[in-house]
Amino acid sequence: MIKLTNASKKYQQGAREVHALKEVSLDIRKGEFLSVMGPSGSGKSTLLNLMGGLDQPSSGEIFIDTRPLHGISDDELTLIRRRRVGFIFQFFNLLPILTAVENVSLPLLLEGTPLSQIKSKAIDLLGQVGLGERIEHRPEQLSGGEMQRVAIARALITSPAVLLADEPTGNLDSHTSEEIFMLLRNLNEEGQTIVMVTHDSRAAAYGTRIITLKDGSLSEDIRLGEH
Amino acid sequence: MDFINLLSHISLKHIRFQKARMFMAVCGICLGVAAMVSIDIVNRSVLKSFEDSINHVTGRAALQVTGADSGFPEQMLDKVRNVPGVEYALPVIETNANLAGGKERSFMILGVDSLQDHQIRNYSLTDKSADIPDPLLFLAKKDSILLTREMAVREGIKIDQEIQVQTVQGIKKFTVRGLLDPEGPAKASGGDIAIMDIYAAQPAFGKEGRIDRIDLSFLPGETLNTMKDRIQSALPEGYYVDTPAGRSRQVEILLTRFRKVIGLIGFMAIFVGMYLIYNAVSISVVQRRKEIGILRALGATRVQIITLFIGEALAVSALASFLGIGLGIVFAKLTVGVVAQSVTDMYLKTSVRELTFSWDFLIKDVGIGIIASFAAAAFPAFAGARITPVSAIRAVPYSEDGFLLNRKTRIASAFFILLSILIFTAYKTAGPSSAFRSSAATFSSMIFLVLGVSLSTPAFLRLFMAGFHRFFSPRMGAGVRLAGLNLQKNISRNAVAVSAVFYSIAMFVSSSSMIYSLNRSFLDYIEAVERCDILVSSGHPLAMGGAPSIPMPEEMWKDIEKVPGVLSADPFRKTFLNYDGRRLFLGAIDIVRSMEYNQYILTAGNRKDIRRLLPHQDNIMVNEGFAARYRIKPGDFLVLPTPNGPIRFGVTAVVVSYVSDSGSIWMDINTYQRHWRDHLADNFAVRVKPNESIPTVREAILDRFGKERKIFALPSREFKGIVRDMLGRSFTLTNAVNIITLIIAGLGIIITLLASVLERTREIGVLRSIGMKRGQVSGVVIIESALLGAAGGVLGSATGVLIGWINLEGFFRLDLGASVQYHIHFVSIGWSLLLSIVFSALAGLYPARRAAKTNIVEALAYE
Ligand SMILES: Nc1ncnc2c1ncn2[C@@H]1O[C@H](COP(=O)(O)OP(=O)(O)OP(=O)(O)O)[C@@H](O)[C@H]1O
Ligand SMILES: [Mg+2]
Repeated sequence: MIKLTNASKKYQQGAREVHALKEVSLDIRKGEFLSVMGPSGSGKSTLLNLMGGLDQPSSGEIFIDTRPLHGISDDELTLIRRRRVGFIFQFFNLLPILTAVENVSLPLLLEGTPLSQIKSKAIDLLGQVGLGERIEHRPEQLSGGEMQRVAIARALITSPAVLLADEPTGNLDSHTSEEIFMLLRNLNEEGQTIVMVTHDSRAAAYGTRIITLKDGSLSEDIRLGEH
Repeated sequence: MDFINLLSHISLKHIRFQKARMFMAVCGICLGVAAMVSIDIVNRSVLKSFEDSINHVTGRAALQVTGADSGFPEQMLDKVRNVPGVEYALPVIETNANLAGGKERSFMILGVDSLQDHQIRNYSLTDKSADIPDPLLFLAKKDSILLTREMAVREGIKIDQEIQVQTVQGIKKFTVRGLLDPEGPAKASGGDIAIMDIYAAQPAFGKEGRIDRIDLSFLPGETLNTMKDRIQSALPEGYYVDTPAGRSRQVEILLTRFRKVIGLIGFMAIFVGMYLIYNAVSISVVQRRKEIGILRALGATRVQIITLFIGEALAVSALASFLGIGLGIVFAKLTVGVVAQSVTDMYLKTSVRELTFSWDFLIKDVGIGIIASFAAAAFPAFAGARITPVSAIRAVPYSEDGFLLNRKTRIASAFFILLSILIFTAYKTAGPSSAFRSSAATFSSMIFLVLGVSLSTPAFLRLFMAGFHRFFSPRMGAGVRLAGLNLQKNISRNAVAVSAVFYSIAMFVSSSSMIYSLNRSFLDYIEAVERCDILVSSGHPLAMGGAPSIPMPEEMWKDIEKVPGVLSADPFRKTFLNYDGRRLFLGAIDIVRSMEYNQYILTAGNRKDIRRLLPHQDNIMVNEGFAARYRIKPGDFLVLPTPNGPIRFGVTAVVVSYVSDSGSIWMDINTYQRHWRDHLADNFAVRVKPNESIPTVREAILDRFGKERKIFALPSREFKGIVRDMLGRSFTLTNAVNIITLIIAGLGIIITLLASVLERTREIGVLRSIGMKRGQVSGVVIIESALLGAAGGVLGSATGVLIGWINLEGFFRLDLGASVQYHIHFVSIGWSLLLSIVFSALAGLYPARRAAKTNIVEALAYE
């Protein structure tokens, strides 16, 4: 499904070079729910960004469904992001000027599909994440948990091969977080591949497999049994 | 399709939220398009009405012979009549006249041969009962005149009524013998035309023995070209044989010049519009950085981001361009009279009754507006597409200054500045006939300079802030230091505000300096050459538009000198002549006498030679700009067309004169009369005897002549005062325009700071939570905006000084001569620095209030 071979990422911070990811090799199978753990600055977000094609590795290879993500043009990478990957961010990243349903529709709007054809699907998805009553609300009229649900619905609308979540509950209280994790687990049980970055080992336990990063390298890889 | 999607789902909402900014961009483009549309409409309308007049007045004549502007000897008529193949050759006098009463309507007098003219022109009388086969027979009596029905109705004139007309001989009475149907010549000039017998018109308008034109038809079987050649060779050089259409082409040349000047104003407006669009899109990109990042993360391609922003700009500018058409029509209505007047002054009575439209130029102008917006939006849109998705999804982005402050921008900036310098150097060093020696060159040099400098604002702001930290902030409190740090943190966005201030200050300083320089030169000039005591003329010497003044007999100077208290009265005559496709101003005066009191400024030659060589001889002075363009120096010869054929004139001196930007020629009035056989004067320079009071003498002159003709006697001091006031007003006017630009820049600052405050909500919350007072928060924001204003003010003043110089070169020194000196207007630099800082600080007030009101709990809740 997703395969990394010796993927490295270096950043230039002024004169200093930061080695955010060092030769990471990893194989994620279809239907897995992978939790990524590690201390702050260990490269978790970097890893996720590389898998989602938000960024390209400095060296090494990354494949999603056997398609390479390295060494391809920005436009090709963009299309992969649009069609094969669904992102859920810590800070939700909804467009404040759009309503919930418009935010959910956005990835398909980018494809050129008219809103009329997308709308029913978007409303369905909002229903699935428990926001059937909130479709015409703007982000500012929603709570944090609700915003994150909108973001999840948005990530799902293209039926992506993989759902990538970077600390999806980092901004939410523990009760709301619990609900989000349950939602993700249900999705996983329906067959959705998910990669989730988290600090919290309790949260990581929702996954089927946990990896731990340390200083940009893979330090642990544990498979949990099926739930 | 995806483009439409983005536009309708995202852009429209943004447009709703960004009214002020969009409104400004719309204004700029709208004004630019309006200027171009109005030029096109005015041009076509004036040309059309001129052509119509010519065609109506021409009748069936196939060719027309014209010579000098002041007319030519009627003996030419016989020469033309003797050319084989000529059927009819008929003399025409065509001149401007004013009614003496009422609103002093000006109209055209067509003097024709009343016995023969029906051969080529149709006249028909309204009053059929008269039952006379040829209406022209009415003109047999000398005091007769035929009016058009239209004009008679407008002025309430009836048949057999006496009307008073201003003529060279003073106010004369004519009897209206008939009213013409709108047909043939009666349709010319929108009906403002009267027909007289040519032998009555000649003395009345000072053209004894002279005619203005010969209209001719030729026998069947002859071709146009052979006839043209035959007639041309029968006449001396300096005469034109042309079809009526060819004559309107001459006016087209005059209009080309007008078009060039106004066209530049149009482009200037478009340029301002482009600048506003550039700014609007830049701010929009900076402000929506996060949105761009999210869209990119969700799979929007770079092209989609670019089309999103360019699409928004295009939608707005399309709207603006259409509004521009409407506004252009209004402008055209307002200005068409002035242009028609200038054609009237230089050629013949032209009045535009209705505006002429054509789709092709409307489409062209709208197209230019849209393309300009496209070009203006492209750069920030491309910059926006480079924003990386990763930076947007973080709460605190990693360095984001790559967006405007990068190598490409710096290279582009250096490139444009260099290009500007190169073009200007080429202009300064090019020969007189080079393509670089044009206002188009200086204009593009100016545009590239503005582009280059505004692209350099990020780098400049960084330098400015570095300097600020070194020299100022160590001595200041925490607030000032924090403000400085905030500005440095987001150079790109703040640079957009700086560049808005820069632009308006640059315009302010440059136009002030340019106008100040012009005013000084003009005032010095007027002071030097208008040193008589009273100016006597038949129309107000400074009347703009309105009735053209009717010349007076040159002999009148003798009568003026008989008025008690008058020391001397010197006639002045002006006319125009065609030279190398230009319309040169020809001034004839008694140079030696006028040199006794006027101080001509010579740039070559000397007074002794003028005294010796000009009176009664074929020698002239030329003005500086003309001399430079044609590389003429004293000792050279110039062949000029006169009614006697071309005459070789020796150039004795080069003189400073600002009367015409096409060039001016000055000769002794006796020389002029000898060649042109024209004994008229447009005004008299009167000197008063020592110890006599000017007002008393003025009254005496008005008393002596006021009954027989319309006359103005304006004390020269008063005249100069009026000129000074007019120049002063132009200063006020441009200042007003500049203040508006400054306000627009202020709005730019408000928007930028507001964006910055909103983006920093969390940070402000943190500062408040650790104990910063509301006043301190707003203080920081206000200091920030004052700093932005100061940076823009410094950069704008420096650039403005350069732009003022470049524009003065291209638009004035080029034509008027190098004696127009550039003076930097330091007062306006002081003002602009003060204004930019104060204004920007004021612009910071609203964002500051917003910042101070930040709710700590909400700010810290989420980003
Ligand atoms: N765009 C960037 N430019 C420069 N350095 C970066 C960039 N992105 C990440 N880094 C650096 O790479 C390292 C890894 O960052 P990353 O964001 O992957 O850590 P993380 O594991 O997600 O940490 P956290 O748990 O705090 O989110 C850090 O030292 C960070 O400073
Ligand atoms: Mg992270």
